Amino acid sequence: MSELLLQAHDVHKTYRLGRVDVPVLRGCDVNVHAGEFLAIRGSSGSGKSTLLHLLGGLDRPDIDGGDISHAGRLLSSLSNRALDWYRARTVGFVFQFYHLLPELTVLENAMLPGLVPGGVGAAAARTRATELLGRFGLDHRLDHRPRELSGGERQRTAIARALVNDPPILLADEPTGNLDEHTGAEILRLLHETHQQGLTMVLVTHDASIADQADRALNLVDGRLTD
Amino acid sequence: MYQPLLTSRYLSTRLIPLLAVLAVALCVALVIVVVSVMTGFLDMVRTSGRTLMGDVVVSYPIRGIPHYEELIEEIRALPEAVEATPVVDTWGLLRMPYPAGDAKESEQVQIWGIDPSSFSTVTGFGDTLEWTSVPDDSAGLLQTRLIRAHAEELAATLDASAHVALLRATDQGELDELDETTIQNLASQRPVDEWAVRLRWLANRPDLVQEIIGEQAWTDLNARDPRLLSSEALVNDGLTLQRNGRPAMVPGRHVSKANIRTSDGTYEILQNGYWWMPAFEGTLTTMPIDSRGGLLEPESIVLPFANEFSSGVYLIDKTRLMVPLDIVQRLTHLDEVELVDEDDPTLVVGTAPARATMVLVRAVDGVDPLALQAAVHEAYQRFSRQTYPDEQPPTLELDPSLRILTWEQQNASFIGPIEKERELMRTLFSIVYLVSGALIVAIFWAIVYEKTRDIGILRSIGASRSGIVWIFLLYGLAVGVLGALLGVGLGWLVTSNMPSIHEGLTDPPLWLGVFLLAAAGCLLIWCVVKSRSGRLLPLLLGSLGVLVLGGLGLGELWLRHAGGVMLWDPAVYYFTEVPSNVDWPSAWMSAAGAAICSVIAAAIPAARAADIDPVGALRYE
Ligand SMILES: Nc1ncnc2c1ncn2[C@@H]1O[C@H](COP(=O)(O)OP(=O)(O)O)[C@@H](O)[C@H]1O
Ligand SMILES: [Mg+2]
Repeated sequence: MSELLLQAHDVHKTYRLGRVDVPVLRGCDVNVHAGEFLAIRGSSGSGKSTLLHLLGGLDRPDIDGGDISHAGRLLSSLSNRALDWYRARTVGFVFQFYHLLPELTVLENAMLPGLVPGGVGAAAARTRATELLGRFGLDHRLDHRPRELSGGERQRTAIARALVNDPPILLADEPTGNLDEHTGAEILRLLHETHQQGLTMVLVTHDASIADQADRALNLVDGRLTD
Repeated sequence: MYQPLLTSRYLSTRLIPLLAVLAVALCVALVIVVVSVMTGFLDMVRTSGRTLMGDVVVSYPIRGIPHYEELIEEIRALPEAVEATPVVDTWGLLRMPYPAGDAKESEQVQIWGIDPSSFSTVTGFGDTLEWTSVPDDSAGLLQTRLIRAHAEELAATLDASAHVALLRATDQGELDELDETTIQNLASQRPVDEWAVRLRWLANRPDLVQEIIGEQAWTDLNARDPRLLSSEALVNDGLTLQRNGRPAMVPGRHVSKANIRTSDGTYEILQNGYWWMPAFEGTLTTMPIDSRGGLLEPESIVLPFANEFSSGVYLIDKTRLMVPLDIVQRLTHLDEVELVDEDDPTLVVGTAPARATMVLVRAVDGVDPLALQAAVHEAYQRFSRQTYPDEQPPTLELDPSLRILTWEQQNASFIGPIEKERELMRTLFSIVYLVSGALIVAIFWAIVYEKTRDIGILRSIGASRSGIVWIFLLYGLAVGVLGALLGVGLGWLVTSNMPSIHEGLTDPPLWLGVFLLAAAGCLLIWCVVKSRSGRLLPLLLGSLGVLVLGGLGLGELWLRHAGGVMLWDPAVYYFTEVPSNVDWPSAWMSAAGAAICSVIAAAIPAARAADIDPVGALRYE
């Protein structure tokens, strides 16, 4: 097996709903290896997104609720600034609802991660975004607004955005969940292609058939991951 | 940097922030207009001081400074002073030429006895003279007088055809039936002195007389009043306080009630130009005071009016009357007189020197009035320490009513409150920034709420919390700067058009009301058309627009009907002109203040944006 890139150890995450604690993750262990395509399967509300957000440094586990580390470094040891950089350079997110900024054009949306302090810079981002969007068949859409695009086109834009800073890891949260079967398959093919080029990918889904296409699949049940 | 991109997009794709821009602009414009008008007012007060009184005034009221000529020589020698001029001021009554008949009106006037040439150098008197030529309507009056005065001479120059023409022009109907030769015969048989009588009859129609006597005789006649031919004559009269070689006086423009200021700021002379002051004379009466402070017999003198002046300061133009210095000295008993023995009035025991109640001094350009004041102070010391054969001038040490003041000091009680008022206005109106600030907080708060998801997305791609704060601070800055610039533009537009706006208010133009009503009508039609679509918002906005436009239009027409409002009443604001210069330092300060306020206001929603939990923001579509 190749080197360990992303690791979660005994991760707990509890949400508070009013006075009640809702434990969502209760001791998740996961090892993501470099270059791997890992699928995490779970029913709706099982905590897949929560886990993905933790892996991506968008959220932190409970206090004393386990560790997440990237390339041997604990995310909890990073400063806020370093964590911002981690999100900018190390991971790219793809969401079920695309989450594009409606005021920006397709190109600007895709470039955006290049413009944040940890990003590759405007010029490089423009080149890379144009190239990616071209590769994804969106070259005629660069100046369009997201609302003028179909769901599949929006998701392709979102994937281009996730890849603009050339992160080693892509975290995809039900990327096909909102698309029809045909378009979903297209998006998956695209993700496969990028994975083939050396990207480490963690994809969460409730769809067993999608999980089956991964190198390895885990099930998230009752807040724990099982094979 | 993603913030400028987002800020510009948020600004350009939304209507609501433009409302904030507009609010800021209106606030800034309001402050600029108010402060500029007040500053302009203050400036007018300051500059008018110089044109009215020069830079420094030595004053010793009522009794006057003896040997003032020596003081003036002393001051003229100062390197700081351009010129000094004596003035005797007193109050008096001016019996006006109007109305026709014996019961004339009188005006209370502040009489200034001046030496016209040096007075013009110290003040701007020469430039304030109103008349550079005889107004067309008033020329006829002068000509009528000339015809009356010179009827005999004119009659002697008439030839046979002129006789016929004059006969016809003064005919009472008895010539109607007669043929041409009979009339010629009749004309040739009239006695010689009858022509002068007939010319006098016709004097009220100078145009007819002109035709009858012919161009040459007419020009000769006009030449007898130099003012009718030469435009310099009138100005010269004013500058020398003379008319036809006689001493004359120059009243302020508003002294004569026959000068009517119309609402648009121009003047009319009552009775179609008849009561043009320089065509008349007035009687000046004063109450001299003796050396012990008692009232003496009133003194009177009849003087023609040479011209009128208009300094722009209403109070001055309403009361001041310029008269030759020696005449006022005589009227106030401040002239040089022989002193006689109390027991034997034929025995001359000495002379009392002539006096001046004020000496006005003008500073060399660039010299600070305060520096001049100090120099005049010393000059006065030298002057008062000399010994004079008859009478010593008052000394600064012993005589509290002797004062040497700059114009601003003299009017401190007047200028001070205005300055304070301006600061108060500035402060009060700056409170309107709080309103625009509150508006920005509210609008941005809503935008942050609406943009929660975007903020989550930005955090997910690596934007920091402070980065998010910057988006909204920049947004606030953009709104503030845009609004401030727009406000400066608007303030400039309103301020520099103040006179026409004022004119529009005092005399509302018809077209504006018609235009507003027409616009309301068009909007109404648009509303009716739109109402078919059944949408409520355009209908509501449209009806509101119709109401506002229609209301404004009707209001304007009503105002027009009611004769307008006089906002800048010169009787209240001292000046006949509305200030129209932008106070730029204040303007830019207001603009900067507005921009800073906007950023501060934006900081509140920005902090909220930074506190948004990205995970929660991303959870839902
Ligand atoms: N911010 C939150 N506050 C309270 N409960 C939450 C919050 N986020 C997620 N949950 C709950 O945690 C559970 C897991 O959510 P999520 O990770 O979105 O599941 P999945 O992605 O598998 O559908 C759900 O029951 C959800 O209601
Ligand atoms: Mg989910």
